[in-house]
Amino acid sequence: MKKIVAILFLGILGFFIFSGIYANDAFGSFGKVNLNDRVSNKFITKSVTNDNEIVEYNKSSNLETGSSNYVTSIVVNYRSFDTLGEVTVLFVSSLGVALLLGSFGGKLTLKYKANFILRVGAKTVFPLIALIGIYIFTHGHLTPGGGFPGGSMIASAVLLLYLSDENFRAKMSSFKLTESLMGSLYVLVGIFGLFTAGYFLSNFLNTGVVGNLFSAGIVPIVYVLVGLKVGSELTGIITDFLKEEVNE
Amino acid sequence: MTNPVLLIVIPLLMAFLSIALKKSKKTLLFLAAIFNVLQVFIIQNGNYIIGGFKAPYGINLNLDSYSHLAVISINILFLLVIVMSSEKINKYSTVLLVSLAGLNGMLLTGDLFNLFVFLEIVSITAYILSTESKKYKYSFNYLTLGTLGSGLYLFGLIVLYAIFGSLNMADISSKMVSYDANKLIVPMMLIFVGLAVEAKLLPFNGWAKGVYGNTNSLIGALFASVYAGTILFVFGRVFGQVLLVSSYLKGVLIVIGLVTLIAGEASAFSKTKLREILVFSSIAQSGLVALLFVSGLIFPAVLQLLNNIIAKAIMFTVAGRISDEAATDDVDSLKGLFAENKLIGFAFTVSALSLIGLPLFYGFYSKINLLLGLFSKSSLLVAAFILLATIVEGAYFIRLLVKLWDPGEEGKESNIKYITDKKVEFDVSKKIIVFALSLIILLAGIYPSLVKDNLFNTDKLLNEDNPSYMFNLKGGM
Amino acid sequence: MIQYVSILLMLIGIYGLLINKNIIKIIVALNIFEVGLNIFIISVGFVSGGVAPILTSVNNSSALIFVDPLPQALVLTSIVIGLGTTALALGIARKMYTTYNSLDLEEIGGINND
Repeated sequence: MKKIVAILFLGILGFFIFSGIYANDAFGSFGKVNLNDRVSNKFITKSVTNDNEIVEYNKSSNLETGSSNYVTSIVVNYRSFDTLGEVTVLFVSSLGVALLLGSFGGKLTLKYKANFILRVGAKTVFPLIALIGIYIFTHGHLTPGGGFPGGSMIASAVLLLYLSDENFRAKMSSFKLTESLMGSLYVLVGIFGLFTAGYFLSNFLNTGVVGNLFSAGIVPIVYVLVGLKVGSELTGIITDFLKEEVNE
Repeated sequence: MTNPVLLIVIPLLMAFLSIALKKSKKTLLFLAAIFNVLQVFIIQNGNYIIGGFKAPYGINLNLDSYSHLAVISINILFLLVIVMSSEKINKYSTVLLVSLAGLNGMLLTGDLFNLFVFLEIVSITAYILSTESKKYKYSFNYLTLGTLGSGLYLFGLIVLYAIFGSLNMADISSKMVSYDANKLIVPMMLIFVGLAVEAKLLPFNGWAKGVYGNTNSLIGALFASVYAGTILFVFGRVFGQVLLVSSYLKGVLIVIGLVTLIAGEASAFSKTKLREILVFSSIAQSGLVALLFVSGLIFPAVLQLLNNIIAKAIMFTVAGRISDEAATDDVDSLKGLFAENKLIGFAFTVSALSLIGLPLFYGFYSKINLLLGLFSKSSLLVAAFILLATIVEGAYFIRLLVKLWDPGEEGKESNIKYITDKKVEFDVSKKIIVFALSLIILLAGIYPSLVKDNLFNTDKLLNEDNPSYMFNLKGGM
Repeated sequence: MIQYVSILLMLIGIYGLLINKNIIKIIVALNIFEVGLNIFIISVGFVSGGVAPILTSVNNSSALIFVDPLPQALVLTSIVIGLGTTALALGIARKMYTTYNSLDLEEIGGINND
């Protein structure tokens, strides 16, 4: 009975949404979007503050944002404030998990016995995964990826260690310190921009040539901070979930 | 230093630092709250863009007299609430710091997606704070509904982006004028549902009773005054000023507000527990304020909103303290409680009477204003329903006050021997602040011109029928 | 087409929220809803014939047709926020299990009765 009511309700809701969206011209022409109608047009030509016609890879220099990955230029330059908020969301939810499960202690015992290959293999690939994570967030302005995927990759390496070794404990105090330091530095980079250029989180460094590793001004710096922060936050969440329940 | 972005980032910086400096996190919280209270008087109205990219391409903060008033009231109330219940803060300092940043961000931002991010920050802090009561099923229910709501809000704003190609409030607002409003019902409705979950409007307020009904003095006052105030200010911004609602949808939203008001007051009437009465009164007030915002009566709505959040800060602090100390908040077992705590009783009474809207209290001024506003829009039916709700509200608040003051059994002479044996001690900071807040209500009720001249005089826009400053300011474009 | 499929996915998520009583299933339903939403956001930025919005040695000029990069940036934020709420929800679920010794909302006593 309940299922039928739910399906009926969703049928009405779905009809409402479908018909409402179908009525709009913006959806009738799926895939025929003209970017000139959207704010993204200026993100592509990097011409919000000055007029340039065309950006060319490995040629154009000193643009308003020097990242060759447009998504990164939006995430860390045009809409950097959102990213600060996003980091905060992750920060506060890891804090919430820690508060909820803080009374738990010890570490969950694994239901299986980690065999030799798993133990040695995990230790061998751990530095490689961590290295790739670092590569991803330092190259966030050139290739797909950035602080968040890179950070999660580092955390996944730590999870691998947890799963392969019963006695492994991450040093949470140092992770907490990293988290705190990186977050504060992100805000301080923003405040530095406020006092030097007049805008919070403004790019106060030279943006260089599009496509070079050392380019894009504060983007790589912010992504390194975000990557390390996300890595330590996710490690914190994993560690909290792997704690054993203690009868209160 | 006149940049309002500091209101957001200084608490955030303190929050990040408080992880490393564990011992002094409470100090950091108070530092940030005091800094913000000082800062709100320094900041100057205008548009502040972030990252140096002009709107609508970058994100901007919109500080006009509406959001200025909002940040002033919210930051001051936040400081007062945490001072009043400073003994409860303990491990929640960092969460409170993040929430302070998020609340200011919600009030100031001029970008719909940025609003979503801050809304999400604030709701996550609210979920965490709601777990304090250890009633996890209520927290879980709140989290599910809240996440669904903000998801729908995001859905709606993406549809708006697909149509208008922009996320900036002012940009969307100006493009909306020349677009068929009937085609926008779906995204508007989705955005409305998203905000309505947090604003406790019917039928999206299933979480409110469990969460509010089990709060202590800190979290109850924080939710009912600071959080509720913020979400309603944002609601007023989005639905009163940014989005142009078609007349059909306006009718639907007004009915939702009205139903929330009536149902809230009726449920409050039928409850016997102090905090539950207050919860439903809060729900009713949210409905009323939302209704006024949707009708375009911004000035009366703000007056009523201020009335509600100041009164609820007092009432929830008192109610939370009572239930912490007496281990119950059943009104019948608390008879005559105020006879021994006269100062607290006085403040509670003032705020209850002001909520009803009796003359001499600030609530009277705001109720008169909103009724006049409705008459001028010839919405007589709505006004009649509001008056009806006021009568119900008056009935249960007076009944509640009589019980709490008078140590007697029904039908018999009041006698000291019937007084409750529950002892509730209030510390000095609570007494002083609660009393001061109630004096503000009284003062503003006796000299309403004081409020009007100081808060609104410089700003004609708030008084105007359909404030169009979004167009005037252009959001920094 | 994909837009309608993503909306369908969202509806499936809401259906799961409505009928499930198991906390973990509710969290899964919430995630299905979020995935549908994320696909919808991405689909809004699709431009047929557009290339991925990254300048490389092959696609080396902004004169090319790119897909809209803004929804991709938004979806990144949305995914991270979804991750945060899911983590918190699982935390609460774990705590509920230790408190009530059950994962079923009906067994716990529902929302309305204490």
